[in-house]
Amino acid sequence: MRWFGFGFNAFTQTYVQEKSGEEDSCSSEREVKVSVPVELHSHALRGRISASWSRTASLFLDQDQCVYLAGFCASISSGSSGPVTVDTSGCKDAIISETHLSLAFPDRIESWDLQSKNEAPSWRMEINTQSENSDLKLPLVPGGYISSKSPVFHSLSSHLQAKSLALGGEHAVLLTVAGAVYTWGQGSHGQLGHGGLVPEEEPRTVEALWGMSMRSVAAGGWHSICIGDGGDLYVWGWNESGQLGLPSRGLRKTSQQKTDPQEAFLTEPPSKVSTCLGEELHEEVFISIQAFPALVDVSPPCEIRTVSCGSRHTAAVTTTGCLYTWGWGEYGQLGHQTTTSLDEPQCVEFFSSQNLHVVDVVCGPWNTFTAAVKKEVH
Amino acid sequence: MTSLWLKISAALPPNEEQFPLTFSDKVPLSVVEMLKLARKQLYGNTTSASQILNAQIIVDYSWERLNMGTWRDVDKEWRRVYSYGCLFKAVALCRENPLEEEILQAIRTCDMALLMGAAIMENLLQVIVCILQTGIRKLAKEEDNSENIEAKKRRIASPHVGLIKEDLSVPRIKCPSLESFSANHLLPLKPVILEGIIDHWPAFNKHPWSIEYLRSVAGCRTVPVEVGSRYTDEDWSQTLLTVNEFIDKYILNKIPELKEDIRIPDYCCLGEGDEDDITVNAWFGPQGTVSPLHQDPQQNFLAQVVGSKYIRLYSPEDTAKLYPHDSQLLHNTSQVEVENPDAERFPEFVKAPYQECVLQPGDVLFIPVKHWHYVRSLEVSFSVSFWWS
Repeated sequence: MRWFGFGFNAFTQTYVQEKSGEEDSCSSEREVKVSVPVELHSHALRGRISASWSRTASLFLDQDQCVYLAGFCASISSGSSGPVTVDTSGCKDAIISETHLSLAFPDRIESWDLQSKNEAPSWRMEINTQSENSDLKLPLVPGGYISSKSPVFHSLSSHLQAKSLALGGEHAVLLTVAGAVYTWGQGSHGQLGHGGLVPEEEPRTVEALWGMSMRSVAAGGWHSICIGDGGDLYVWGWNESGQLGLPSRGLRKTSQQKTDPQEAFLTEPPSKVSTCLGEELHEEVFISIQAFPALVDVSPPCEIRTVSCGSRHTAAVTTTGCLYTWGWGEYGQLGHQTTTSLDEPQCVEFFSSQNLHVVDVVCGPWNTFTAAVKKEVH
Repeated sequence: MTSLWLKISAALPPNEEQFPLTFSDKVPLSVVEMLKLARKQLYGNTTSASQILNAQIIVDYSWERLNMGTWRDVDKEWRRVYSYGCLFKAVALCRENPLEEEILQAIRTCDMALLMGAAIMENLLQVIVCILQTGIRKLAKEEDNSENIEAKKRRIASPHVGLIKEDLSVPRIKCPSLESFSANHLLPLKPVILEGIIDHWPAFNKHPWSIEYLRSVAGCRTVPVEVGSRYTDEDWSQTLLTVNEFIDKYILNKIPELKEDIRIPDYCCLGEGDEDDITVNAWFGPQGTVSPLHQDPQQNFLAQVVGSKYIRLYSPEDTAKLYPHDSQLLHNTSQVEVENPDAERFPEFVKAPYQECVLQPGDVLFIPVKHWHYVRSLEVSFSVSFWWS
């Protein structure tokens, strides 16, 4: 399996280009914004990647099961930004945030403060190796979940029967064993999917999805996605850069005038807070906040296998091995050789042109990582 | 335009060592690293393209942090980071013989920082934006004397006679003493119109506010604009426009230069807060703009400079008859359309006693704290409000 990365690379966390003898500080736009997938050579193995804004954490499951960090490493090494090893042998899962690296071992969970020079984790929890919780994926841990802000551990009621958990910018999306979706946290951009803009302190079921079984959930800065059993995609939350795959007024304005994209968003009036599920749109209606789940069409019609969200973009892999991306593209994180943002899912041509079958995708806040294998020739 | 760059350089600290960059640990080290890099580039020889790229990274990341949580919760540190990012970007834009378009973009960038960031380096951004404005060819127009005379004319011949019922009208008083205002109006929380107290404002004398004057002083500056006839409408929104764009689009048919033309009313000293705690807002809009019936948590002096407004006041004692919205966001706003109330949905409304007035140029209306008020502008209007406690 081969891993590829594209998007924000100012900390050379995606890949390192050969320097032509110039100072590090003279990064060109081409180096900072990687808009075409680049292969991560050290990742030709079965592994897992987690990315924060300035770093990438890679876990290799086949070999020594160690976690490698790339990107901004000022507190770990002496200031150079090459891949650095943290003593993590036997690690089976890892997630990274801007301030913390969390590691799951068979017998314990650890959280390391990346900003301190401590030799020990800042938080630690023993786990029972016998329990059936051993296949939980971070940030889920036995009895609850962990976050990078204090308090680290949050308990979750066992009756929820959590299967997977996605932590967004300031909200959480939980998938249960039964296929139901719960959300909590801030709701000011509709990211909880309950139809309003108010926060929820406790997990609350997304009623609009009641009766439908979901198989996967993802969360971005201010948006949420889930995949239904049949492979269809439901989205809700903020759409200021088209990250929901619904028409975004801010994008139309940006394409007309070359203004600061961030300012174009602020110039966009919140033209519609959409409150209907699967509403037929007969005329062009722009959506800036989608407060209830909406169905997104990927065309040509296909079944989605896995999805991941960055801060303001989304990436989805189909069962036929295509990668679709949409949303904020300013740093090349959509992989279409441009830095344009899109409000419609678009296939990343690179993979099919290289005869590659995409099998997985993981997004960092401003970048995207995909795993692909060579297509079998029939 | 190297003279522009010379002026900007002079406003910046002389070297890297004297350029402060300290942040609390709320700001991750990776972001601090970017900021230090930008500072290093500022005093080095890197291309302006590279500097703009780095500054934009800082702006983009801090902008995301500014959009987390409610505005009240946003950590001041992130607003500072945003300001630094904008500063580095604006300065980089003007480094290499900037075109007018680049200077305008730099001004827009400074305005974004002034709107959403926090003051840094002794309000350096304000200094920079003033320098940048001198770099733009101004539509220098002398005060239009004929407009001046017209403004005075309106004061004498009130075109709205008959609009106000005499027995419901807000009382008027000319230049009361602090003691009498305090005793008769502030302490008992009774609305009153103060006449003659802002005649000395330069906005009436030295720089009479006219459309041409506003364009020359603030035309290229970016300001928040409310779009929609009333803020309870479904299609109401806020947007950002330059003053020129706003005038072009809506009139024609957070700028301190305009602040020099107005003065804080003396009566504000009767409050408990500092002068720094007084919120001054300028409201500029076309005829027909309506502010739905609402209340504010502070005392308010509403000063009318250009044009006139119809205003109705209801006492907080009658709040129950005004049917405030239930929701957290709008509980200080009434559901009733004051000049066209739905008697079926809001039967008690017609029983609520009120006072009304037409506020003319030179008038200042005292709206006591939590007093419900409804405003409709009768013509192109420019007012200044002072919120104080």
